[in-house]
Amino acid sequence: MAAVDIPAIGGHEADAHGDGNAPYLTAKRGIMSWVYTVDHKRIGLMYLMMVSIAFLAGGTFALLVRLELFSRGKTIVDAETYNRFFTLHGAIMVFLFIIPSVPAALGNFFLPIMIGAKDVAFPRLNMLSFYLYCIGVVILLASIIGGSVDTGWTFYTPYSVQTANSVISMTFGVFVLGFSSILTGLNFLVTVHTLRAPGVSWTRLPLFVWGMYATALMQVLATPVLAITLLLLGAERFFGIGIFDPKLGGDPVLFQHFFWFYSHPAVYIMIVPGMAINSELIATFSRRSIFGYFAVAMSSIGLAILGFLVWGHHMFVAGMSEFSTMLFSALTMLVAIPSGVKMFNWTATLYKGSIVWASPMLYAMSFIFLFSIGGLTGLFLGTLSVDVHLTDTYFVVAHFHYVMMGGTVMAFLGGLLYWWPKMTGKMHDELKAKIGFVFVFIGFNLTFMSQFIMGSRGMPRRYYDYLPQFEPFHRASTIGSWILAVGLFTTGYTLLEALWKGKRAPRNPWGSAGYEWMTETPVPLANFRQTPVITRGPYDYHLATPEELATGWDEISEKPAAKKTSQATKKD
Amino acid sequence: MATESHQPPSASAVDAHTGHDTGHDAGHDHGDDDGAVHVHIASTQFYVGIFVALVCLTIMTVKVSYYDFGPANVIVALLIATTKAGLVATFFMHLRHDKLFNTLTFLAAFLFLAIFIVFTYDDLGRRGQIDNDYGGTIDPKTGLAAPGGLPATTATINDVEGEPPAGPATTPAGGEKKE
Amino acid sequence: MANVSESLPEKAGHGEHAHAHPSFLQHHFDTPAQQFNASKLGMWIFIATEILMFGGLFCAYAIWRGLEPDIFDQSHHFLNKIMGATNTVVLLFSSLTAALAVRSSQLGKRDQTSIYLVITILCAVVFLVVKYFEYAHKFHLGLLPGHCFGHPYFSAAIQNGHEVGTCLRIHSDEMPGSPLWVRAIDESGHEQLLPPRANMFFAIYFVMTGLHAVHVVIGMSILTWVLVKNTRGRFSKEYFTPVDLGALYWHLVDLVWIYLFPLLYLVGKPD
Repeated sequence: MAAVDIPAIGGHEADAHGDGNAPYLTAKRGIMSWVYTVDHKRIGLMYLMMVSIAFLAGGTFALLVRLELFSRGKTIVDAETYNRFFTLHGAIMVFLFIIPSVPAALGNFFLPIMIGAKDVAFPRLNMLSFYLYCIGVVILLASIIGGSVDTGWTFYTPYSVQTANSVISMTFGVFVLGFSSILTGLNFLVTVHTLRAPGVSWTRLPLFVWGMYATALMQVLATPVLAITLLLLGAERFFGIGIFDPKLGGDPVLFQHFFWFYSHPAVYIMIVPGMAINSELIATFSRRSIFGYFAVAMSSIGLAILGFLVWGHHMFVAGMSEFSTMLFSALTMLVAIPSGVKMFNWTATLYKGSIVWASPMLYAMSFIFLFSIGGLTGLFLGTLSVDVHLTDTYFVVAHFHYVMMGGTVMAFLGGLLYWWPKMTGKMHDELKAKIGFVFVFIGFNLTFMSQFIMGSRGMPRRYYDYLPQFEPFHRASTIGSWILAVGLFTTGYTLLEALWKGKRAPRNPWGSAGYEWMTETPVPLANFRQTPVITRGPYDYHLATPEELATGWDEISEKPAAKKTSQATKKD
Repeated sequence: MATESHQPPSASAVDAHTGHDTGHDAGHDHGDDDGAVHVHIASTQFYVGIFVALVCLTIMTVKVSYYDFGPANVIVALLIATTKAGLVATFFMHLRHDKLFNTLTFLAAFLFLAIFIVFTYDDLGRRGQIDNDYGGTIDPKTGLAAPGGLPATTATINDVEGEPPAGPATTPAGGEKKE
Repeated sequence: MANVSESLPEKAGHGEHAHAHPSFLQHHFDTPAQQFNASKLGMWIFIATEILMFGGLFCAYAIWRGLEPDIFDQSHHFLNKIMGATNTVVLLFSSLTAALAVRSSQLGKRDQTSIYLVITILCAVVFLVVKYFEYAHKFHLGLLPGHCFGHPYFSAAIQNGHEVGTCLRIHSDEMPGSPLWVRAIDESGHEQLLPPRANMFFAIYFVMTGLHAVHVVIGMSILTWVLVKNTRGRFSKEYFTPVDLGALYWHLVDLVWIYLFPLLYLVGKPD
């Protein structure tokens, strides 16, 4: 590197925070070493734990909602409780799970490693972000206990102003979570800008980092508007300031403008990280340089910017002016371009690649399949004339579940399986992971494909009861949700089982050329023994040395591990 | 308090007048220099000069407010305010000698804010433009524009569009209070 | 020259390779310049988020003013231009002293930095005091947001009789909490009859200036923290980042006010 005259570089053998080369999990012990940690890897793991609990809670409410809809009329709960269930499902899944899932858990862990940094730029801010998240969770839980909320996760006025539930505490929780999200985004932006290791130029940034960068841009630019929206909603409830109340000269649709100016970018905060993971998975398990690196990287940024221009398509029938509906409909079509760029580049990467059907790759492929469906039905909904009929039907529900769950959650699971060895130092059982995948895939499609059919036939969303002709579809959907749950539990069990029964993971179990696999497993406290000097791109399989691509199974003394190699990675 | 002067990481830790940008944006930012912080330091007189300019602009914007330019009132006020903000950002906040990306960050905030305000304002400005009955800005009874939606049902509020009541007499009985 | 001296090696661990890592340099940065640039960029991104947060209120302002220009014109006469302008100048002056504090810190003049910081904080206090008098006047007139608009609860101070003059509140009907009209004398001495919808002007006024005042208080706290650190000799020519960032935050507070002042106090039809 150029600045070799600065002795500080690489000189962290006796680091301030302990031995930089000790594995991060065991460098310090005791519960307090986790509570006070500023290490991005530990914070990432703690985030992972929290979002997993949130996912479990949100999933439980989803199962309850589906169970209630199994038959017409009252099945398990009354209509009021049902309203609360779907609100909590939505709010928990959106604010507590999907938004922080990939960036805060996997991003925190891997973004600094992937650019060869020792930590994020502001480690203490990172810790603050995590504790703000925890405070947000506590406030949200408190408001669930203290009266719950039945407005849906969107908190639309005027209902959210009038309803007697704990909207204030709920929105305050979301407000705090927003700050957590902003701090994570801010940290990532600065980290990518200032802490790249020598040789990690912008054109060599892993696509996961590009995706995180785009996500961080949106978090930083959109979330403040959510904060002010919720502040105004609070003022509206406390003082009746009337900014959203037509009786006092305000405008209820204005709330939707405010809300969706944040929440549409937030939708991309949810999906872009999924795409980012997918780029990594596709490249690794095709053993090929990603096709159109620059286009894929720029499409993430493109999505980030377009995300700010299309929020009106959530409000086509809300009473917006006709001109605005047309404008937003036209702009929405643009979103297909960067999404399409990604899809085609992934498929082009697969072409003539040496594809390895490891469990993460199964999720990556299902991402492509499910996101195609989710994305294309998004075009139907973005088309003004069609949307007028499909608004607030199960078609919309199915659409965004195909994107959020079929896209982000699939990628998240794929990413977890992919990076689990690096994070924990233990290999999971591939067979169990694949069985889990099959259940997830079948269950997911059964659950939501039937909702597409119902929606196109006019079943409105959020309804407690329905007409007899929808019963078979609702039943199929509910049964699908059970299969999905079985699949998710299997996958979760596989990951947890690896912690105590899994074999020791080598440095690079998947044989990837990515930068994060260059460091040892488990990751040292300072991420790398020496600040790495990068001389090739993260997908340059043709430039990577055999040592870099070596899985490292032979370095591990355990005998059974060798058998595992052929099983897991050596299909080619 | 440490008494001995610590050896700074480089001989000239602060470059008092060069104001050159510290490195390019690729890789670690110390590619071509000594790793120390280099900043541009302007003179006190210069800062005071900027302050005087800002005060002059403040006086100007107050004076101007006593003249009515009609719809241009806002534009005039915003132009002056933006000039002031520009002075503060450029010199007090050192953007002039800072990294370009910091300026871009700052301007990006305004860009996205502009997107937000323009699209939202555009929507509210065009309600009912194509179809009068759509968007709920026209009161079907009176044919008058009802800002932000249909007027409420109470009689007093309907009066907003017309003459304000002359006094307590026009309000329903028993409701008046004088302090 | 004590000013140039390094801060105390309070983090013992750093001392181990202090010859390479100055004590202010965190372990994951290689050079002071890298740390400085990261901090600055972080602050600027934070400033961008603040702008967008206030931006939501500016959007609400723009929408409402577009919808009800007449009520806006009527209501904005209740804001005192002189007080607003005074506060503007006070904030601009504090911005100047904040910038000078950074300059002194960059030159390693510690005592001078402290003096400038103290002046800045005092200016913030002056700003809040002026703001208090403005708010108090609105309270006396009952010019408050939402349900509180014209609420008799706030009328007690009106008996004092000074510049307030008469203030008349009119119930629209017998329902408690129903909208009220307010008749009061504005800043240019005209009697105005404000319809219930005028509450929105004051809602926006209070939310915008209130949020700004919160930022003033936060800015004061940050500057006080910086001041304490400065008097303890934590900053030097080589490491003045907290002074710089604190000042940047303070300039942001100034920037917001630069827009708030004309938009609330000045634009609108003059008498």
